Amino acid sequence: MQNTWVGRQPARALLVLWLVAGVAAVAAVGATARTTSASTVDLKFQVWSYSIPTIQSNIKRFQTLYPGVKVNLSDTSWFDYHDVMATKFTGGSAPDIAYSSDHWLREWVAANWIAPLDKYFPQFKQYQKEWAPYAREGMTLDGHLYGLPYYADLIDFLYNADQVKQAGFNGAPKTWDDVRKISLALKQKNIVQYPLNIPLKKDDPWLIEIFYAMVYGNGGHMFDKNDNPVFNKPGSAAEKMLQWLQNARTKWKILDPAGPESAEPDVVKTMGGGHSTFTVLAKYNLAELNLGQHKEAGHFKLALMPGTTHSTVGFVRFYAMTANASKRGSDVTKSVGKFLQYFGGKTGGKYAVEKRWALEKGLGFANLPLYNDPQIKKAINKWGSVPLEQSQAKLAHVKEGLTPFWGVWDISAREQLDKAILGQESPRAALKNMADRWNQLKKQYKR
Amino acid sequence: MATSNAAAHRARVRPRRPGGRIAARLYAWGTLTPVLVFVALFTLFPFFYALVTSLHRYVLTIPGKPYVGLGNYRTALSDAMVHSSARTSLIFIAAAVPLVTVLGLGVAVLLNQRVKGFGILLVLVLLPWSVPTVSAGIMWRLLLHGDFGAIDGFLYRFHAIDSYVQWLSGSKLALMSVILVHAWREFPLPVILFLAGLQTIPPELTEAARLDRASAWQRFRWVTLPLLKAPLLIVLVYETIVAISVFDVVYVLTGGGPGSATTLYSWYTYTVTFKFLDLGMGAAMSFLMAAVLFVFILLYMRIVRLREAEA
Repeated sequence: MQNTWVGRQPARALLVLWLVAGVAAVAAVGATARTTSASTVDLKFQVWSYSIPTIQSNIKRFQTLYPGVKVNLSDTSWFDYHDVMATKFTGGSAPDIAYSSDHWLREWVAANWIAPLDKYFPQFKQYQKEWAPYAREGMTLDGHLYGLPYYADLIDFLYNADQVKQAGFNGAPKTWDDVRKISLALKQKNIVQYPLNIPLKKDDPWLIEIFYAMVYGNGGHMFDKNDNPVFNKPGSAAEKMLQWLQNARTKWKILDPAGPESAEPDVVKTMGGGHSTFTVLAKYNLAELNLGQHKEAGHFKLALMPGTTHSTVGFVRFYAMTANASKRGSDVTKSVGKFLQYFGGKTGGKYAVEKRWALEKGLGFANLPLYNDPQIKKAINKWGSVPLEQSQAKLAHVKEGLTPFWGVWDISAREQLDKAILGQESPRAALKNMADRWNQLKKQYKR
Repeated sequence: MATSNAAAHRARVRPRRPGGRIAARLYAWGTLTPVLVFVALFTLFPFFYALVTSLHRYVLTIPGKPYVGLGNYRTALSDAMVHSSARTSLIFIAAAVPLVTVLGLGVAVLLNQRVKGFGILLVLVLLPWSVPTVSAGIMWRLLLHGDFGAIDGFLYRFHAIDSYVQWLSGSKLALMSVILVHAWREFPLPVILFLAGLQTIPPELTEAARLDRASAWQRFRWVTLPLLKAPLLIVLVYETIVAISVFDVVYVLTGGGPGSATTLYSWYTYTVTFKFLDLGMGAAMSFLMAAVLFVFILLYMRIVRLREAEA
C-alpha cells in the first residue's frame, strides 16, 4: 500500500496540482484582460494623508460627473511622501496622478517621473494668469506647466493675541527682537513657560520652509540666481536667524525645548492648549487653531513675518500627471485631463474643489480671483483676515535653489538646523555643513 | 536484530516497479521546486541584486548606473556620518544588550518562584512582544512627549519634577529613551528562554545549596547561573544581532533626531537608501553591516549546535 502511494498517487496528485495551478493562472490572466478591456478607465491617485474623507468625497462627486472613470485612491504619510514616491516611480508601481510640491518639481522632471501638462492639455495654460506668482513659479519649469493647484499657501507668523495682551503688549511683534521681549515678559509673568513653538522634528518637511521664511523676513536669501548657497556667508541673514533660534532655546529659554520631537500637529495642539504663544506655520493652521476644539480657540491672529522686509515663503502643492499615465494610452490621458480639470481647474466656471478646501479646511489657494468670492471672504474672516493675508501674499516668494537635488539636500539641511538650534553645533558650522552637502550634491548630479 | 529490521524496512519502502523510483524522484523534486523557487526569489535574488547594486553608482534621481567597483564601500568607510552613526550604534548595543539580558533574567527568576497568578503575570510580561512595534513606538512617543507626555504629567503631578523632562528632545535623553523602549519591547523573549532554562534545573541542586547555608545570591550565582550558560549565550548573541539591526523603534520614536543623536548605523543606512535615494551606497552600507552580523550569526549557530550536542 505504501509503495503504491509513493510511486503512483503522488505523480497523479502532482499532475492535478499543476493543472489546477495552470487553470487558475489562465483564469487570472483572463480576468485581468476583461478588466482592462472594460469601458471604465481606472486611474491610480496617490496623495499624502491629509483629510482623506474630503478627498474621497471629491472623488465620488467626480465619478458621478464622469461615470466612465474610476479613481483608486492611495495615501501615505506626508513625512515619507518623497521617499515612498521615489520608490514607486522607480519600482514600476507609479500612480497616474499624484500630489506633488514645488519642493520636488525639478527632481521629478529631471527623473522623467511626471509629464508636462501643456503638451497634453494646452487649455490648462489659461489658468496660469489667475495664479499667485509663487504658485505659478512652483508648478512651471523651463516654460512647461507640470501641475494644477491642490492648494497654495504662505508660511505665516501666528500668535495668541490674548496672551500677548496679558503680557502688557499691544498688537503683533514686528521684529524677532520684539518676539524675544514679549516672550521674556510672558515668562516673567508666568503666563507661558515657552512662548515660541516651532516644529523642529527632523523628519517633518515643514522645518526647512519655516527657516526660509524667517530668513526672507529679515531680507536675506538662501541661494543666488545661479543656485549657489549664500546662507553660509559670515554674517548672513541665515546665520543671524539661526543664532537667534539657538539663543531662543539655550540662552533665553523661550523656544519650546520639545520642538525637536514636535511636528506640525503637535505644535498646533500645544498652541491650542495655551502652552505657547508664537509659532511659524503654514497659514491654514490658523483656521484649525481658531475653529478647532482648543482651549484657546478664537484667540489666534495672523501677523506679517517679523523682520525687516516681512517677506515670507509662498508655496504650492499640486496635482501632477505621471509619465506612467502618459504611456498608458489616450483613454487614460483623457481621463487624467478630466480629473485635473475637476480637481485643480474650473468646472462649470467655478474652482469647485479648491474652493471646497478653502471653505472647509482653510487651505490657501493659488487662484487669486477666489479672494473676491463672498463665501470665501466670509469664511476666512471667521478665523483670519483677508486684507492681512493678501498683504503677506504680496511679499511672498518661492523657495530659492529648487534644483533636482533640493529634496535630498533638504533632509541633511534639517538635521544641521536641528543641531544648531539644540546647541550641538555653532550656527556657522551647521550652515557650512549645509553648503558643503549642497556642493557635494551639485557635483554628483552634474556627472 | 536491528540490522534485519532496517533491511526489512528498506525492502518495504523500495518501489516494486522500475518506474516507481523515477516517480519518487519526480515527487521529491516536484514538491521541493516551489520551495526552492521561493527561496531563490526572496533570498538569493535580492542578495545578489544588492551585491551588484553596491558595485554601481545607483542614485534613483540620476539617470544611468555606472560601475564603480568598490567606490561605494570606500565612500561609506570614509564618511563622517557613517562613523558617527556606527559610534552611536556601539553605545546603543553596549547599553541595550546587557539591559535586555538582565531584565529578562530578573523577570524569569521572579516568575520561576511559582507565584500565584503565574499565568496572568506571564501574559503581562509577553504583552510588549505582541504589540506591533509601530503601535508601541507611537504609544511611547505620546507617553514621552516633552509637551504633553503622560509620564511627565504623572511625575509633575506628584512633584517628582519641577518642569517637563525632554525625554525625546535632549541628545542624551533621547538615546536613553530609545534604549529603554527597545529593552521594553525585547525583554519578553529572553524571559521565555531563561524561564525554560530555569525549569530544567533540578530543584535538589538549589535545595542542597540551601542546606549548605548558601544565601539566595550565592545559590543564584553558583548554582543557577552556571546552568543557564547556554540560554545566556544565546540571548547575548541574539540580542546583539537585534541591536545591530534595530530600526523600527528609531523610525517611529525619533526619526534619528534630535540632530543625529539617535541616528544608529541601521537608521543611517535607511536614510541613505530611501531618503537620499542612493541605492548603491545604501547597498554597500548594508553589506558592511551584514558582514558584522554574519560573525554573530555564526557564533549563534555554533552555540545552538553545542547546546544540541550537550543535550
